[in-house]
Amino acid sequence: MFDLLQIEWLKVKKYNTFWIISVLFLILIALTNHFIISGIMNAGAKGVSVLGADYSFSNVWNKVCYITKVFSGLLSVIIIILTTNEFQFRTNRQNIIDGWKREQFFHAKWGVVIVLSLVITLYAVLQGIFFGLSGGSSFADIGNNFINVLYVFILTLNYFGLALTLSLFLKRSGMVIIIFLLYSYIVELLLNQFLSAKLHLTLGYYLPMDSSANLLPVSKVEPMSSMVINSAYSTQALIFVSIFWIGAYYIIGRIKMIKSDW
Amino acid sequence: MQPIISIQNISKSYGPIKALNNVSFDVPEGSVFGVLGPNGSGKTTLLAIIMDVLQSDGGSYSWLGGIPPDAARRQIGCLLETPNFYHYMSAYDNLAVSAALKRKGMDDRLRVLEIVGLTERKDSKFQSYSLGMKQRLAIGAALLDSPKVLVLDEPTNGLDPNGIAEIRELILDLNKQGITIIIASHLLDEIEKVCTHVAILKRGNLLLNGPVNEVLISEDQIEIMATDMILLENTVREMQGVKKVNKTEQTLQITCNEGITTAHINEFCLNRGIVLSHLSLRKKSLETKFMELTNQ
Repeated sequence: MFDLLQIEWLKVKKYNTFWIISVLFLILIALTNHFIISGIMNAGAKGVSVLGADYSFSNVWNKVCYITKVFSGLLSVIIIILTTNEFQFRTNRQNIIDGWKREQFFHAKWGVVIVLSLVITLYAVLQGIFFGLSGGSSFADIGNNFINVLYVFILTLNYFGLALTLSLFLKRSGMVIIIFLLYSYIVELLLNQFLSAKLHLTLGYYLPMDSSANLLPVSKVEPMSSMVINSAYSTQALIFVSIFWIGAYYIIGRIKMIKSDW
Repeated sequence: MQPIISIQNISKSYGPIKALNNVSFDVPEGSVFGVLGPNGSGKTTLLAIIMDVLQSDGGSYSWLGGIPPDAARRQIGCLLETPNFYHYMSAYDNLAVSAALKRKGMDDRLRVLEIVGLTERKDSKFQSYSLGMKQRLAIGAALLDSPKVLVLDEPTNGLDPNGIAEIRELILDLNKQGITIIIASHLLDEIEKVCTHVAILKRGNLLLNGPVNEVLISEDQIEIMATDMILLENTVREMQGVKKVNKTEQTLQITCNEGITTAHINEFCLNRGIVLSHLSLRKKSLETKFMELTNQ
């Protein structure tokens, strides 16, 4: 895997679009976190503060990880661009011609998904530590709600894995970005509503992206919202289903890559 | 001597279209092997299958005595259809990716850029290249670390006449160094100048294959004219060694057995009181032979 990632690094290190988008996201995530944790951005009106400035680690991890989740859907665009570029430039073919097996091309892309997930997770950790300590929290409390960091890793793997799979099937960046964003922001919401409101099923919580998104619900940043949102699922089940979806993307993508013409 | 590649019964369909139909042949080591055929004959499909870019519906192939295909591909330099590079990267950086994929060192990049005349533009982005420069870079990438085999699909696409001549010289030079070259092209004139062996495809079927001097026996034609064309035709038909006489608008075209020369024809006619007003030898080109084969 390290050899595959070295070659992927050669591909991205001179890719300005990748670096500009990445840096932009990292700055915006940090700014959003700063605004929410420090109380600059607030929920409430007329001087009433729902969020308030709270630098305790349990609060910081909740908020940092929730904000990372919000950005992860958009961050998936990076995976889509890096993958569909290969089809647009036909370098996917050239990689095979030059000696990669089809599985190696596929695994290289999954390597990028895993590395980007780790980077985003690590970035969440660094921000949590920074905001927690800069607000005066004790380092001894760092473990409070640290589990959210694991949820970020699972969620990014899930989102990026889905983005990769769609890219491998549809190949054109514009189409993949639109379909991915429509699915993540509209279609799952409609499906969820349909399953729960019409059919009274809890299956909606376990849809591909919702299974991970529900690990970091909005109540992480707005505790009062848990009073109106009924959460009829278990965290263990969400983790299990998220991993199931990630495995499904891997298997479906692998079959596609090995069996199809390039 | 074991073949560089042995192709056995490869078939491929796109829906109802049969792109390749049980194609089999071997490419001998050290040859310049031309894969010829009109547009849509299956040349590129065949090359794409043996480079694992396309999946065949049936049949098999074996590179370099049966080593794993990915290991074989690392010893092959290949330009398939179009030059495929990362648009946002320079030629030099693109060659780094190619070298890494082939598990070779990075030291050979300047040498191949020099061969294809791109040294001065090595740091320019690929997207700024002209079609001819892109083609040159693809050929350069194929030459990295002196491959054992070169697979070139229409290598002269986009090149100017000088470029075409340079590539021809390069192919001959590389072949002299022992590199086997498989080349698909519709430029028959180019193929004729460099190939030692050919396979001719038509609508996915292999029409023939083998050494050029065996499968494309050049039957030269002699063209003659005289005042009385009817007498001339009747006379040459009586001559021993004349296989075929074709009448055109103004001349007679004669196909003869080996050993019959223009001098023999002239002497034969003179002995029968016919003075030839025109006598010329026409070499049959590969193009003529190709047209005969593919139009059947």
